[in-house]
Amino acid sequence: MHGDFIGVVFDGIAFGSLLFVIAVGLSVTLGLMNFVNLAHGSFAMLGGYVCVVLMSALRVPFLLTLPAAFVAAAAAGLVLERTLYRRLYHASPLDQVLFSIGVVFISIAGATYVFGSSQQPVRLPGYLQGQVRVAGHDFGVYRIFLVAVVALLTIALEYVIRRTRFGSLLRASVDHATAAAGLGIDVGRVFALAFALGSGLAGLGGGLAIDVLGLDPTFPLKYMVDFLLVVAVGGAGSVRGPLIAALILGVFDVAGKYYVPELGGFAVYALMIAMLLRFPLGLHGRLG
Amino acid sequence: MSAVLRTAGLSKRWGAFYANRDVSVAFEQGARHALIGPNGAGKTTFIDLLTGTVAPSAGRVYLDGDDITTLAPHRRVKRGIARTFQASTLFPSLTVLESVMLAVCEREGRGGAGWRALASETAASSEALAILDALHLGAESDSTTRTLAYGKQRLLEIALALATRPRMLLLDEPAAGIPAKESVEVLGAIARLPREVTVVFIEHDMDLVFRFAERITVLVAGSVLAEGAPDEIAADPRVREVYLGEIPQGEAPLA
Repeated sequence: MHGDFIGVVFDGIAFGSLLFVIAVGLSVTLGLMNFVNLAHGSFAMLGGYVCVVLMSALRVPFLLTLPAAFVAAAAAGLVLERTLYRRLYHASPLDQVLFSIGVVFISIAGATYVFGSSQQPVRLPGYLQGQVRVAGHDFGVYRIFLVAVVALLTIALEYVIRRTRFGSLLRASVDHATAAAGLGIDVGRVFALAFALGSGLAGLGGGLAIDVLGLDPTFPLKYMVDFLLVVAVGGAGSVRGPLIAALILGVFDVAGKYYVPELGGFAVYALMIAMLLRFPLGLHGRLG
Repeated sequence: MSAVLRTAGLSKRWGAFYANRDVSVAFEQGARHALIGPNGAGKTTFIDLLTGTVAPSAGRVYLDGDDITTLAPHRRVKRGIARTFQASTLFPSLTVLESVMLAVCEREGRGGAGWRALASETAASSEALAILDALHLGAESDSTTRTLAYGKQRLLEIALALATRPRMLLLDEPAAGIPAKESVEVLGAIARLPREVTVVFIEHDMDLVFRFAERITVLVAGSVLAEGAPDEIAADPRVREVYLGEIPQGEAPLA
């Protein structure tokens, strides 16, 4: 599959891009609300199943199922935030972890009940299949597509956070929630919208990931450590930090498994531990 | 004169410790009212209770006669209560102009989802610039707040509070950390606000208190020890005991 070094690096970048789309919402919830949401992957899984169902049952084209995955996961995130998550913002991290791991198990049981425990097949449209040969290297078309989507998303996200009024509201609420409320900002509403946006991005990532990571009910558990690593190493509350961390993690994970398969996933964990020792707050971490 | 904001039997208890105990104070329309008291007297807690940042253990808060005890902080802002915080850097990742514009936009009810560029809110930006100019912060409008000198951050706090166009301005040590000459300037700017704005301020510097306050409430150990006009407070032996002669003898307020 990996023909050469450049191909391996490119596959790693594509894998990292996926991790970033899914994990960036976790960076917001962790950085903004200080909420340890282990169930973030459940929203990604929901997006994945939305894509599969729409494609297989309703014959919706793959590209059109992606916005639906975003909307469904965002809506689920909004509802859960308003009904359950918000009650635990001031709870201890242990309570948050116990609550959100409970959400993970419920989502796994629910997905198994509805869809069974097997891997969901996904058939990408023809124009996203196959390889293209550029300068003597083979690149998977779908992986090029992934990288392009994530590049566009990153630019859009940076614009929303840096330039729009919602972005300023979000940054003000992150910086000092009490003082933001003191300006008349409905911080609870900002949090809910941010949570929905993050969950929606996870859902979109879940849809994009089916072909690369696979989709079965254990998805939220299987990749939980990767999502948490991206945020911990990148720095909660930022966009650029998790992007860099996800790309590093993606490249080293793919390269490690390709060149030193006997180490399995260990190489990348060793690297992440080293990075956390060097940057305890993450690459773009903030104090406090 | 009628009370804009008043409290009835307001208490805040943490375990066995009363930060505020049975505090009943009325702030008259247009007042320049100082809250004084030794460290730990519960002054900041009292402001937190007024703005809704902290929920009281007992008692009520009334704004224009309406019970607002359980109203969320951001809703109280919309009803005209603004405050400053004793925090050095409020929004380190925002520029000075951005943060003031946010307050203006919220006041104007531009709640919405806010997907438009903040820079396109031209009316808000010109109003924000006018507020910053009035507080001599115009030159810093594009700086990130974390790079501002300490005194300027305190001025920005006041600019942010003013941007909500308050009827009730609660200032928690507005002059703390500002050089003496500038602190007179800051409090002077506050005193010159139109009388539609009622000002309540916590201040430790007794010279500033007796220069700008027209009414003073003294809190000690969470309760009201005394309240009155500055000359009454200055003459009150119980207050003099607490302050050990820090209070200027027979000095009249200037502004």
